[in-house]
Amino acid sequence: MSDFEPKIVAFVCNWCTYAGADLAGTSRTKYEPNVRIVRFPCTGRIDFMLLMKAFENGADGVIISGCHPNDCHYTSGNFHARRRWITFRSLLDFMGFDIDRITFSWVSAAEGKKWAELVNEVTDSIRTKGPFKEISTLDSSKLKQLFYDEITK
Amino acid sequence: MELKILTSANIPTFFNSLIQSGKVVVAPVLKKNGKVFFESVESYDQVSTDYIQTVFSAKSVVFPKVEELFSYTKKEDGSVEITNDLSSVPETIIWGLRPCDSSAFNYLTEFFLRENPDSYYKTRKERTTLISISCAKADDACFCTSVGLNPGSTEGCDILFTAMGDIFYTEVMTEKGKALIDAKLFTETEEKSKEAHLAKINTKFSIEEIKERIQNAYESTQWKHESMGCLSCGACAFSCPTCTCFDIQDEGTTENGKRLRCWDACGFGQFTQHASGHNPKTNQTARRRQRLLHKFKYSVENLGIVSCVGCGRCIRICPAHLNIFENILNVTKA
Amino acid sequence: MIGFKNALTNQPVPCFIEDASQAELIVYTPECKNNLAVYLHKPEVKQSKKIGIFGNMATLRSIIQLTSENQFWDIEKTILTIDANDEVLVFANMEEVETYVQANFPDISEEDLKLLAHLDSLTRDERWKYWTEQFTACIKCYACRAVCPMCYCSQCTVECNQPQWIRVSSKTTGNMEWHTMRAMHLAGRCVNCGECGRTCPAGIPIHLLTTKMNQDLFKEFGTRPGFSTKGEYALNTFKTDDKEGFIK
Repeated sequence: MSDFEPKIVAFVCNWCTYAGADLAGTSRTKYEPNVRIVRFPCTGRIDFMLLMKAFENGADGVIISGCHPNDCHYTSGNFHARRRWITFRSLLDFMGFDIDRITFSWVSAAEGKKWAELVNEVTDSIRTKGPFKEISTLDSSKLKQLFYDEITK
Repeated sequence: MELKILTSANIPTFFNSLIQSGKVVVAPVLKKNGKVFFESVESYDQVSTDYIQTVFSAKSVVFPKVEELFSYTKKEDGSVEITNDLSSVPETIIWGLRPCDSSAFNYLTEFFLRENPDSYYKTRKERTTLISISCAKADDACFCTSVGLNPGSTEGCDILFTAMGDIFYTEVMTEKGKALIDAKLFTETEEKSKEAHLAKINTKFSIEEIKERIQNAYESTQWKHESMGCLSCGACAFSCPTCTCFDIQDEGTTENGKRLRCWDACGFGQFTQHASGHNPKTNQTARRRQRLLHKFKYSVENLGIVSCVGCGRCIRICPAHLNIFENILNVTKA
Repeated sequence: MIGFKNALTNQPVPCFIEDASQAELIVYTPECKNNLAVYLHKPEVKQSKKIGIFGNMATLRSIIQLTSENQFWDIEKTILTIDANDEVLVFANMEEVETYVQANFPDISEEDLKLLAHLDSLTRDERWKYWTEQFTACIKCYACRAVCPMCYCSQCTVECNQPQWIRVSSKTTGNMEWHTMRAMHLAGRCVNCGECGRTCPAGIPIHLLTTKMNQDLFKEFGTRPGFSTKGEYALNTFKTDDKEGFIK
């Protein structure tokens, strides 16, 4: 496990967190390189299915980050996002999904340091947890098929 | 055809010997929710015997709900490797089909193999042996006697068992069936009458009369009334032992992936949607009419067989409790 | 008039009466469990501008919820039900329906509460195993969507293939995508009629997903679907001081 490097996907809003990540860069702050950033205009645009798709395609952890409440560039996008995250997190937990692999945060354009610390923290925690196999192995697992599709030897 | 007897005491032994032969054995299993489903089993104690019909048919053995047609991988030199390997399809035995179910396999074989033989179906069917058990009980959704079958029919199966007290009267119909018979467990017998041991099912209609009257049923104004309850799900088509409609889906990336054949249903609104956006079947009435006419008219025209076997699964499973034989009767009334 | 009638199998079935002379076909027994509100979306039903519907409590709650979602501006409807004393009640308007429903608002059933409590007592791994086993049984027949009065989108997300949000193939991953997405689209809108779970051919208790969602949303945001025609939808409103403890 010592050479496992987690793949972290970050869904971030353009106006705050993306700018904050940019600031971390221009300040030459060193932080873990495991994160792949996907830029959205606003956290309100982030569909919950995107998180599922990230995990299905090999992500070991996901970060979702946007503007602090009351600071949204579009006034209320992050308020809607917050409600959506509360709901989705509860659903995932009920289904037995490991919600500790998803981290939500508010990172503003001035918080380059916070962004770097957040990525470091998440990468460390996912590295300790190990690779996320639960979804990518679902179809080939030996789950007792109530109504099987293909039987193979 | 050979006639044999298997004592009830020897049924578990025979069954377990099938498992030990290394083949996959699929049998009806009672699940915690009180319903019976076909599932692969490891021993006879998992098999359910006291039920009328399973929820889903066993067609998934030869026509799986998701089937990989081939997979592709892009190689380093830019060429694409396509893999299509049917060698992993195992020898399978289906135990506990009802006579309606095994006769449905006749339709499936006609459909998949007649004109352009489907290699996937062919391979799976060749490696499958069908063991049916006659019906001692029926419920009011069963109507096999109305479509030319009966609870003790040997259509389509390799072996038919009929429970008679403490024996299984065994009719061995094919060479495949014969290959399974263990001379130590089975004894010879003369022909016996099954009638006293079969369920009594009243006929709802005469299939010959229906086949005639349905020729003019397309224009019937009854269709709308009969289809009002239909909510366009796929439950009836998916549980039906003769429904064969499918969709082809590709899953993967530009680097690798697979082509899958998945079940589809004519009840879905988008089933007949064209790429142009036009949909020739614009409402549920048209779609339900298509389904019923396909079962009782178009299959007859195309393949010579009525594709409905009277198993009653669609009636039991329908969320709106639509009843196929009631519908057929009503649209063919003079 | 949408109601129930007796049919050839021993189960009352939904029926659609267009002639007063057939009114005597209508029956109402505890077996009449279907949520008839789903038929209010059918184009054939909407064509007749005046509709009567003889429903159970689930139907009434669905009608209230659909009214709060502005789905009935073009239909005049008469709503009937049977109360606890077997008396027929004819509601003169939606206010009366609301009063009746609010006075008799049903709790979650004993059976469901037990199952929810059981799932709550499992570890995360055990819950994941439970749900993935359930999802493996799913055949994607979409009966759950078909019977749900809240699923009235003229084009469902699953029917979109640019991009393909939900896989068509009914392997476990595709099934999980479907049920997760459906639970999210219904969270805060579902009236807990339980029809989806009851109708599922594979016997999956899908209704538990949305029941749990509704419980949580009521706790967090105070929203209750099917209670009032002016009810709020939790996911398109917000409060600036919504509380959560997990955002860093």
